[in-house]
Amino acid sequence: MSRYLEFDGIGKAFPGVQALRGISFRAESGRVLALLGENGAGKSTLLKIMSGDLQPDEGRLLRDGEPAVFSSPFHAIKSGISVIYQERQIMPMMTVMENIFLDDAPRKMGVVSRKALKRQTQEIIDRFGLPIFPTETVGRLSVAYQQMVEIMKAYRRNSDVIAFDEPTAPLTDTEIAILFKLIGELKAAGKIIIYVSHRLTEIFKITDDIVILKDGQLVKTVETGRTDERELIRAMVGRDIGDTYSELKRNDVLGETVLDVQDLVTDVVHGVSFTLRKGEVLGFAGLAGAGRTEVVRAIFGADPIISGQIKLDGKTVRFKSPRDAIDAGIALCPEDRKEQGLVLLRSLKDNISMPVLRKIRRAIFLDKKAEVDLARRAVEKYSIKTPGVDKVVVELSGGNQQKVILGRWTSDKMTTKVLIFDEPTKGIDVGTKAEVYQMVCDFAKAGMGVIFISSELTEVINIADAILVMHNGHITGKVNREDATEENILRLAMLE
Amino acid sequence: MKSGRKFIRSKMFTLLLVLAVLIVVFLILSKGSFLRPNNMKNIVDSMTVVSFLTIGAGCLMISGYIDLSVGAVGTLCGILMAKLLVLGVWWPIACLLTIAAGAICGIISAILVNELRFQAFIATMAMASITQGFMYIISSGQAVIINDAAVGKIGSGVIFGYLPVTLVLAVAAFIIYGVLMSGTKFGRDVYLVGGNPEAARLAGIYPKKISYILFFNSGALGGLAGMLFAARVKSATVTGIINSQFSGMTAAILGGVSFGGGAGGLGGAFVGLLILNAFNNGMMILGISPYWQTFASGIILIAALMLDYARASRRARSKLA
Repeated sequence: MSRYLEFDGIGKAFPGVQALRGISFRAESGRVLALLGENGAGKSTLLKIMSGDLQPDEGRLLRDGEPAVFSSPFHAIKSGISVIYQERQIMPMMTVMENIFLDDAPRKMGVVSRKALKRQTQEIIDRFGLPIFPTETVGRLSVAYQQMVEIMKAYRRNSDVIAFDEPTAPLTDTEIAILFKLIGELKAAGKIIIYVSHRLTEIFKITDDIVILKDGQLVKTVETGRTDERELIRAMVGRDIGDTYSELKRNDVLGETVLDVQDLVTDVVHGVSFTLRKGEVLGFAGLAGAGRTEVVRAIFGADPIISGQIKLDGKTVRFKSPRDAIDAGIALCPEDRKEQGLVLLRSLKDNISMPVLRKIRRAIFLDKKAEVDLARRAVEKYSIKTPGVDKVVVELSGGNQQKVILGRWTSDKMTTKVLIFDEPTKGIDVGTKAEVYQMVCDFAKAGMGVIFISSELTEVINIADAILVMHNGHITGKVNREDATEENILRLAMLE
Repeated sequence: MKSGRKFIRSKMFTLLLVLAVLIVVFLILSKGSFLRPNNMKNIVDSMTVVSFLTIGAGCLMISGYIDLSVGAVGTLCGILMAKLLVLGVWWPIACLLTIAAGAICGIISAILVNELRFQAFIATMAMASITQGFMYIISSGQAVIINDAAVGKIGSGVIFGYLPVTLVLAVAAFIIYGVLMSGTKFGRDVYLVGGNPEAARLAGIYPKKISYILFFNSGALGGLAGMLFAARVKSATVTGIINSQFSGMTAAILGGVSFGGGAGGLGGAFVGLLILNAFNNGMMILGISPYWQTFASGIILIAALMLDYARASRRARSKLA
């Protein structure tokens, strides 16, 4: 049994991003340590380094003072480190006992002994006092109990270190109570526990120490008993706001209402209402899964609407497909550029002309020259770095890919009135981010209504004229630009 | 100059090169009989029916789908036509009904895939079984003889004294579909849907509509192929064109159509079909056992894909350097 796990100057870079820099802290046996930070602060990268999924560029892990190198997840598990991720790592078609003993079933002369398997599993279940049976199929259990199965697996492996990545996100209150009881048991058994979560109330309830990360750096280490919510939020969001924002040429002339949404309901959105004016940049903030993406997808005709009213330029509309929305003047730059935005193996030109093919025809044939010209104009307008319009988009950088999508929606064959950005700066470098911000302002200046969804708080606060904050499918507040602080937005986003 | 170099690096160039090498090798080995008119006719005869299947499968594969029922559907259609003719239905009506039956089978597959969310592989496998079973039921496993003179003429007739009607139809189909796929909005939509259906939908294309049209098309072309085959051999049997289905897919893949969708073209598929048939025919006139021919067609498919892979990775390497 190890007494502590120490991170000693851990650094990790990905192309274009320094994900972690000089992270040093110590997690001790019999204590629960919270890892806290905004999206992109580096929490997941740190967990992945701990679980052997990624190798640090600099620094090292120490266990009781001895250097520990994990070359693979297998290696880390064998050395007693278990990470329980948000995405379950169970086999849904197999039974509880098979899952718990997945990699090390009790054998009798080389054959798995079902009897021993069942008995040993029952012992573990009893140890935690859970109402499930060894022979149940895991896929039939509730999400909470599936998670319990993973915890029992970690326990069975006799892991010294157990890390949880936002474990309560899919759980109900009663289920959370069971989880906390389990964590208490593990703590009492002297395990080293690392707990990643956004939810501050939980952190005060079950953790002993808190480590706060921001932009890949450690900003604060504190004992839970010696701090409060206010101090944590301030540490999480930091103080520095780049010059990028002050140099932006913003639009300050707002026109009349272009989009009016009333009581929008879908299977995950519960009664959302807002209006968007011409020339306005309306930000949407909230945690992952708050329903921001679902709101804009429903407006865009990509997901079914259960009820509600949408008015575009004063006329009631209900789009049955993205095609209808595009024809009416709404455009969406989707959250996942590669999965939803681009046809990666087609050329830049093909990706730009996608929605306007019907407008560049001569008789029944595509006018290929007009198409090339259309693409060339976009390349010029947004200074897309590419050797030519026939370049396959998969070979472009993230920032240039984003510009291709912008080129698609703002070509002269389009009449876009409402332009929706869903996490437009995800995975693109700092320089291009600044360009994207200026473009957003330029679109507003040109009289478009712009919706700007982002999980980076500094970004939303500095780009948007007003910010709608969402939580669990509801809008929990609207904050004007002048009043917006990261503290008050985060508080609305984390309402419990 | 630049476009010349581009052509040399293209997939089409490799395909034509392979075809030329095959022809030369067989010409030498067969001491000239490979290119004799009689043998050319054999190649053409074995090619025409598969042409339609290659087109249907090629378009579907570019859109990211597959139809494993087309051989069975086509064979059923051949029997349907023969039965209709026996019943005294006027031949143009019989032919139209036959193609319509094929198209309906395609639509059923499309419904299974789009509305019930079956994998195309599984949905069409089930359709293959259903149509094959239905065909045995209506024919009791017996061949149906076709006596209709007009239908016989379509199957084995010639125009201008030497051009087989089926060849004219096949070449025309390749040209029409080739232009449709490479030059029109519809064709582009097919490629975009095959490349990324969700991105295509969010950019205003209707992937579902494309899928319906292509399954409809695959079924109709299957029906046409089955009908032409039955017309040529003047009888509709329960084996029909079942085995040609895989030749059609092989030709398309050989010609560079990506199995995952979004890439390739009918020009390539046409040359792929020529290669496949030249190869099979060459083996035959050299007197190599048909068993070895089947064996060898698998080998050339693997060889073609490996060649393609080697080219792609070399290109990727040169890009990194």
